[in-house]
Amino acid sequence: MKRTLAALWAALSSRALAPLVIGFFFALYIVIAFFSEETLTVLIGLTSRNPFLATILGLLPLNIACRMVVEAAGYLRRRRALTRSASRLEPELYDETVELASSAPFAELERRLGAAGYRTKRSGDLLAAWRGFSLSLARIILLAATCCLFAGILVSLVSRAVSRQPVIEGNPFPSTTGSGGLVERIIFEEGTGPILAKNLVMEVATGQEGSVRKLGVYPPDLVGGAFVYPRYLGMALKCVFSAPDLPGGFERSDIFAIHPPGKEAMLAVADSPYKLSISLERPKDGSDPFTTGVFVMHFKLLKGPDLLFEGSVPKGGEFVRDGFHVAFPEARRMVLTDFVVDYGVLLIWSAGFLFLLGAFVWLPVRCWLPRREMLFQGEKAGVVHACSHAEGRARQHAGAFHEALDVLATKESPAS
Amino acid sequence: MPALKLFPQLIAWTALAVVLLRGCPERRRLTAGACGAGFAAGVLGIVLLSQSFSATSYVVVRSLLGGNFLVLWVVSAAAFYRSTGRSGLAGPGAQAQARPLATGSLSFFFALTAGGVCACRLPAAGGDLLPLLAPLALMLAGLACLAGALAGERRLPAPLTVGFPGLLAALVALLLFSSSFLIRLDLFSPLSMKVMKCTHDFVHQFMESILIPDHIFVRPAIWGYIGFLFGKEVGFWGGMVIWFTPVLLVLLAIRFEPLPKVSHIRQGALRRKMLAGAMRERNLRQVIPALSLVVFAAAAYQSCYPTVEYWDPKPVLVTATAAGDILLAKKGEVDLGDGKLHKYLYRQGGREARFFVLMTPAGKLTVDLDACAICKPDGYGQTEGTVICYYCKTLIPLDTVGKPGGCNPVPVPFVEKGDGVHIDGLTLINAWSNTVQSTTKKESGK
Repeated sequence: MKRTLAALWAALSSRALAPLVIGFFFALYIVIAFFSEETLTVLIGLTSRNPFLATILGLLPLNIACRMVVEAAGYLRRRRALTRSASRLEPELYDETVELASSAPFAELERRLGAAGYRTKRSGDLLAAWRGFSLSLARIILLAATCCLFAGILVSLVSRAVSRQPVIEGNPFPSTTGSGGLVERIIFEEGTGPILAKNLVMEVATGQEGSVRKLGVYPPDLVGGAFVYPRYLGMALKCVFSAPDLPGGFERSDIFAIHPPGKEAMLAVADSPYKLSISLERPKDGSDPFTTGVFVMHFKLLKGPDLLFEGSVPKGGEFVRDGFHVAFPEARRMVLTDFVVDYGVLLIWSAGFLFLLGAFVWLPVRCWLPRREMLFQGEKAGVVHACSHAEGRARQHAGAFHEALDVLATKESPAS
Repeated sequence: MPALKLFPQLIAWTALAVVLLRGCPERRRLTAGACGAGFAAGVLGIVLLSQSFSATSYVVVRSLLGGNFLVLWVVSAAAFYRSTGRSGLAGPGAQAQARPLATGSLSFFFALTAGGVCACRLPAAGGDLLPLLAPLALMLAGLACLAGALAGERRLPAPLTVGFPGLLAALVALLLFSSSFLIRLDLFSPLSMKVMKCTHDFVHQFMESILIPDHIFVRPAIWGYIGFLFGKEVGFWGGMVIWFTPVLLVLLAIRFEPLPKVSHIRQGALRRKMLAGAMRERNLRQVIPALSLVVFAAAAYQSCYPTVEYWDPKPVLVTATAAGDILLAKKGEVDLGDGKLHKYLYRQGGREARFFVLMTPAGKLTVDLDACAICKPDGYGQTEGTVICYYCKTLIPLDTVGKPGGCNPVPVPFVEKGDGVHIDGLTLINAWSNTVQSTTKKESGK
């Protein structure tokens, strides 16, 4: 049982596991590419529906988490060895381990290593020398970032649920829990930041007297457990139409994706050959009606394939010609919004932050202050065990290590 | 002329044989024998295959090349992984180089592929004797090159050695260089297109995954940067990364190989000598992979600037009748039934549409936009048996021109009458506008 567990641990914490899993998905991608143009979409769909593939993907965060444990344990073991709290020397922690016959005292060696820029610590028959900072912390941060990223992708793939609904001024906010207040106002204005050109704010009345919750574009707000992700702008229009051969008239309230101005949407008049092509008229001053709130609808009236005429009607106004009547008594702002239930997003955001942090720690330490360590442990039989480890500038460190060994062996027999 | 066309392939084959002989120095005879047999088998196999199934032979050789490239990726990643790990174990390839069966199989397989590539370059059967003579001449030329390689390899400096990943990198580089001269075997352009599509899909999915606002909310300059990720350049540079990474990994794997442990040596001079010797040997093992990098670059260049001549006539301006009908006479100054691409340009108001008429090998006329539903409308050129999309370099067999989908030219409805081909001007203009509008939108990342 113990052996099985050890083998399982070795496999789960192996450096080879992540490349193997990524290679597996890459191979799967290539296979899918032979059969479908939408390769990535198909792969995502397959992975989210197939428990076997999801489990394979799940090996990635698990492997990275295990490697974090291994990294932290290695760091602690090396630290214990330096501070003399380890019970025995562990050669697997070091790049190089050598045993040489020497009974020379460590005082001279300590002085030389100190002069070479190493900090030293001597306690009895042990001499530890080190310089620089360990990259373990940076590596653990980067591993945590990778773990968050893959865990986020996995959670996102298997649990993401999206519902697209219109948020309309004056209507209740379409919350998933049903407790959304009234949408009091939708504000679309010039952005002030370096990224967003436009600010979109949906003001929703909460239950308390007079209080309003403002939902913006980024970062998306959580409402009822779902992220509010505005996608497209449009209008909620009430359209009234009558024609000489349609005296009863036609009236309909609907949403139209007609932003930006000029973009057309079609409205078929029920039980008649008539169709209205509706768009927002572009103001002459170049302003955006969605920002100013001054809505003038441009329409084209079609009967079958024939264009009868076209015209413009302001909000609340009407257009009358040859017995035809077109009016838009109501025009309100509408934002087509995705309500996304997906907590993987939080993990992916965390991954981004951790990657940045890890890079900021790793880069300067690796470039300027990489960790270099030596450990000399004397034994009673006149044998010294020497270990060396470097996370950077390994050649110079190896030179210093060899010189240290030479110092120890100068008056002794050749190394065993 | 056909012999001259085979010059790059034969040069690549000679170099491939040299690399194989240098990579397996203990089994020179076996390697040379396997190379000769493999080359002949490759030529014969493809000639026989192409006589029965013309297109299949290209598919087979291209699959072999693609498979080789994937294997190189795996081997180079494994070599890098081993070098950067603490164990520093030698890979299985190192043993494979020394085993007779592995050496023979490796040599035979690569020679077979090289022979196949050369055979694809042979001219299509024209006379009675050509089908026999051309492969025979190619096999003789291949054997002569092998003899040259045997003689040339002896003159190379003895310390110039190559490990298994380096050997594989060189062999794959030479095969890809050899195939880059044949547009139907070329891998780089299709790879670039796949990368472009994958990047497009990935960026789109990623933005939706982390709920990044759509373009209406983002500053145009910022969106421009995002839009760059949807462009052709990303496909090209992404393709370059995938193309060169295996060789770079091989080079890095050699660079990161741990030096021999010398701590047990107490003479500083001896230590330094051992280390210097190991470093010199390591540097020399980097020479062949470094040259492979150059060969990979040459293959990519050849793929981007092919020396194929396309039939690409200047579009003829046409007009429509008052009812909007465009009439193209079947015969006259231009013979629409000659199997060549005939391009036209139609203008209406401020708008214009570019289209072509082609008689397919099945004897059917087809009218299509000089644009597809995916790429920027750079148009099409015609080469042997295919038309090529200038933007993405995708080859469309002539048989499938007129069928919608993928990178095929967008078909336009037309009526064939006794006096010629009739096309509705408004339909044509609308089809062009819709196609160009949608591809331009994709290009700008919207």
